[in-house]
This record gives sequence, C-alpha cells and structure tokens, in this order.
Amino acid sequence: MLLNFDRLGWWKPVLIGITLLTTAFLLLPILFIAALSFGSSQWLIFPPPGWTLKWYQELLVDPRWLASAWTSFRIAIIVTVLSVLLGLVTSFGLTRGRFMFREALKALFLTPMILPVVVLAVALYAFFLQIGLNGTLTGFVISHLVLALPFSILSITNALEGFDKSIEDAAVLCGASPFEAKIRVTLPAISHGIFSAAIFSFLTSWDEVVVAIFMASPTLQTLPVKVWATLRQDLTPVVAAASTLLILLTVLLMVLVAFVRKGLKS
Amino acid sequence: MLSRIEAKAAGSKGPARRLRLTDFDLTLPALGLLVLFFVVPVAILLARSVSEPVPGLGNYAELLGSSTYLRIFANTFLVSGLVTFVSLLIGFPVAWALAVMPSRAASVVFAILLLSMWTNLLARTYAWMVLLQRTGVVNKLLIGLGLIDKPLPLVNNLTGVTIGMTYIMLPFIILPLYGVIRKIDPAILQAAALCGANRWQALVRVLLPLAMPGMAAGALMVFVMSLGYFVTPALLGGTANMMLAELIAQFVQSLVNWGMGGAAALVLLVVTLALYAVQLRFFGTDRMGGR
Repeated sequence: MLLNFDRLGWWKPVLIGITLLTTAFLLLPILFIAALSFGSSQWLIFPPPGWTLKWYQELLVDPRWLASAWTSFRIAIIVTVLSVLLGLVTSFGLTRGRFMFREALKALFLTPMILPVVVLAVALYAFFLQIGLNGTLTGFVISHLVLALPFSILSITNALEGFDKSIEDAAVLCGASPFEAKIRVTLPAISHGIFSAAIFSFLTSWDEVVVAIFMASPTLQTLPVKVWATLRQDLTPVVAAASTLLILLTVLLMVLVAFVRKGLKS
Repeated sequence: MLSRIEAKAAGSKGPARRLRLTDFDLTLPALGLLVLFFVVPVAILLARSVSEPVPGLGNYAELLGSSTYLRIFANTFLVSGLVTFVSLLIGFPVAWALAVMPSRAASVVFAILLLSMWTNLLARTYAWMVLLQRTGVVNKLLIGLGLIDKPLPLVNNLTGVTIGMTYIMLPFIILPLYGVIRKIDPAILQAAALCGANRWQALVRVLLPLAMPGMAAGALMVFVMSLGYFVTPALLGGTANMMLAELIAQFVQSLVNWGMGGAAALVLLVVTLALYAVQLRFFGTDRMGGR
C-alpha cells in the first residue's frame, strides 16, 4: 500500500508536494547564481535591472583568477593520475591478498575520507611548515592525494571484487604473462571503476577548499582559495561568474559520466 | 592443466622469487604515503597539545574550563543536531517518494540531487549568502507575501548556517535512505493493510520502523560530517555562533597557538571517532562512506 505509487491515498499529494519543494530548494540556488552572473547589478539585485557580460570580462582578464584556475587544474590532473595509479596497485593488493590485518589496513586507507578535513589541514600545515613544503605545488599535490586516494581505492576495489579472477587465470593458462593478463584482461574489465576513481579524484582536488586555504601562499593559490579570499571581502558578482563556470564544468562532467556509463553498458 | 599451474608456481620459486611482489607489498606505497603524510602529522599535532607551551594537560583544562570554548562546543552540537533533524524531516518523505515514483520522474530528481552534490561547495555557499542577505530574494519574497514588514537577519547567524548546511547535507541523507526503503518488501505493507491498518498506522507502525536503521545510519553520518564542517559555517555563520572547526583554524592561523589548536583537534577527533564506532557497532560497515 505505502510502497505502491498508485495506492498511496492521501500520502500521494503530500509526498509529491514535499519532493517538488525539495527539488526546487536544491535546484533554484544554482540557477539563481547562473542568472545573477549575467545581471548588471553590483549589489546582486534580483531580478537584475539589466543584463551584462562584464563580470565574465572582469574574471577572464584578471590574471590572478586565471592563474589560480590553472594552478587548480594542474594540481587536480597530477592528483588524478597519481591517485588512480596508487589506487590500482593498492586495490590489487587489498582484494587479492590474504594477509593479516587486511581489514584493518583497508579501514586505515579509508579514514582520510571520514575524518574532519580541518584536522588533516591543520596537521599537514604544521608538518609542511617544518619540512618546507608549504605553499608549494608538491605540498598541494600530497595533501590532495591523501584526500583523493580513499575514493580511488573504494571505486577500484569495488570493481575488482565484482570481477571474476578465473578469467585472468584463464588468460595466464592460455600463455599470457601474469602482468600481461592484468593489463589486457583485468584492466578493461574494471575500467568503469578506474573511470569513477579518476572522476572522484579530480573533483576531490579541484573542489577542495579547507586544506588549500592552509597550503596556499600569496604566490600560489587554487581557484577555491581565490573564491574564498574574495568572499571574505565582499559578495562581488565576479564570484557569481566564476561559480557559473564551475557549475557548467559540473554539468559537463555529469554528462560525460552518463555517456561513459551508457557506453560501458552496451 | 593443473600441472601447468604447479609448474609455473614451482618455476617461480628459487632465486627469482625474491623479486616477486606479494599482495601486501602492493599496498606499501599507499601505506607509506598515509603514514608519512597523515598518521605522523596528526600524531605530531596531537602531541603538541600536551607539550606546548608547557608539558601537561593545561591546554585541555583551558579548553574545557572556559565558558567561551564550552559555548563553541555547545553551538557545534546544536548546529549539527538541527541540521540532522531538518535533513531527516525533509529527507525521509523525499526518499520514500523516490522509492515509489515512476522511474522517469525519479531519474529527474536523482539528476538534480547529483547536480547539487557535485556543484562546488563554495558556489553553493555563495548562492545562499546572496539569497539570504538583507536585500536578498528570500527577504524580498517574505515581505512581498506580507509575512514580515522588515527584512529578517537570515545570514551571519544560526538560521543562515542551518539553511546552508541542510542544503549541503540533504543528498547525503536522501540517497542512503532511498536504498533502505527500496529494499523493503511492498508485500509487508500490503499485509499491514489486510490486517486492518489504515494509512497512518501503516506509516508509523510498519514503514517507519522498517526504515529506522537507514534513518539512524544516515542521521549519524550527517551529524558527524556537520560536526567538523568548516567552510559553510565560516561564511554563513556569525562570530557569535562559531563552530569547532573554525576554532581550530583560528587557534592555528590567527593566534598561532599550536597547543590549543591540537587540543581542540583532539576533541573533534575523539567525538568523531566515537560516533563512527557507534555506527560500526550498530549498523556494520556497509553503510559507511559515500557509496
């Protein structure tokens, strides 16, 4: 009765109403920011008195915005590559291995995901100040890698657990070397896991704010740090323009993921 | 065929065997990374809480003995509790609706949930800073509807933080809860109807109890995530209702007081780990993480 859409009775309008309101609550702020980024009001009046592209112009001619976006992109790409490679190797060890403390090790690998980021941020900040990695690209990459790796291990381990190892063994029996069998048989079979590991790793680094606030130096900052620093001063519409571009990137990534999933299914 | 495997295995023994990596060896690079850049730095930070400026528990005495800091702890729990409560209140009906809706409509809602989840955190927080400001859309709308005469202070206070954080946490409660409700056998509710339960009784005495493990697990996860949240409270909250994560950042960044920063970090860590232990004990590992 209550789990049959047509027999919900008077719960039906209630549920539909709440769901519609919640969907609007989740969607409208995002659309609102996109609309405001084209509005001419410096004070973000809505509905905007006129339309303009000047906030995008301000954003795209300011070398500091561009530099921070470029920094973010470089860090995110390096983190993605390292996170997927490390995630692959580690997941093979974790799923295939039969050693002591395997479950404990697995739990340790996932802890950075569940612990408050601020603790890691402060701890790494102190550590990097001492060893001279603060404000460097390496420092950023290491700290984002620590945060991204759990997602990578989780995605790839899931995929590997769903893969029948006897197929790999069959390839070895047919004359492939164990390494060759892994590259040519197993990797293609778990490519969906590798793909989500890459997407999650990229987003983890690209969107990361808390650690980045501590790692940043006046000469090296990521895009989220630039947004953060700007927001601490005022609510300029330039941030709306930057946010809209970030939202656009999210939509593109979602479409990409949907396409790849469809492609993998067929 | 078996003999070939054995032959291969036998062949790999001998001098070449030392070069072969065991499965455990494969986890060593990641383990090294985590120990060096996660375990060691956190351990050093916590050690500094009992060694700076003087060895002893002075920092903890100050942290737990001062009304200023206790207010921050209380506020952290209050905000997290409120956010969890509101998220559950909205999240349960949405998850329920998603589980019974025609799949076309459900996939639209899922797409919006994912879009919201994946949109940059700062962009989402910025949206609420603008929406809730004195001259913002929300105030204008409320005045336009004749509900209030003067704009309400909606930002830099508890209201702002609660709205902004609920916005961020909702998907984290809806998605796992959907999974749990989806797994409930509709026949059980049919049985309840056959036994004479009306729609209200079926909800309160059958559906809610069956969904309870999912609700408890989701609520605990949202509560723990909220406890350590930094960005949204810092931007939408005011100085009067600071949260623990901001306090830690402030100790370290503006006051350069590593002893107190470490002590506050330890308090946050202990509370977080204790709540996760509860989660593991009662709900198993399968619902942990963002799967």
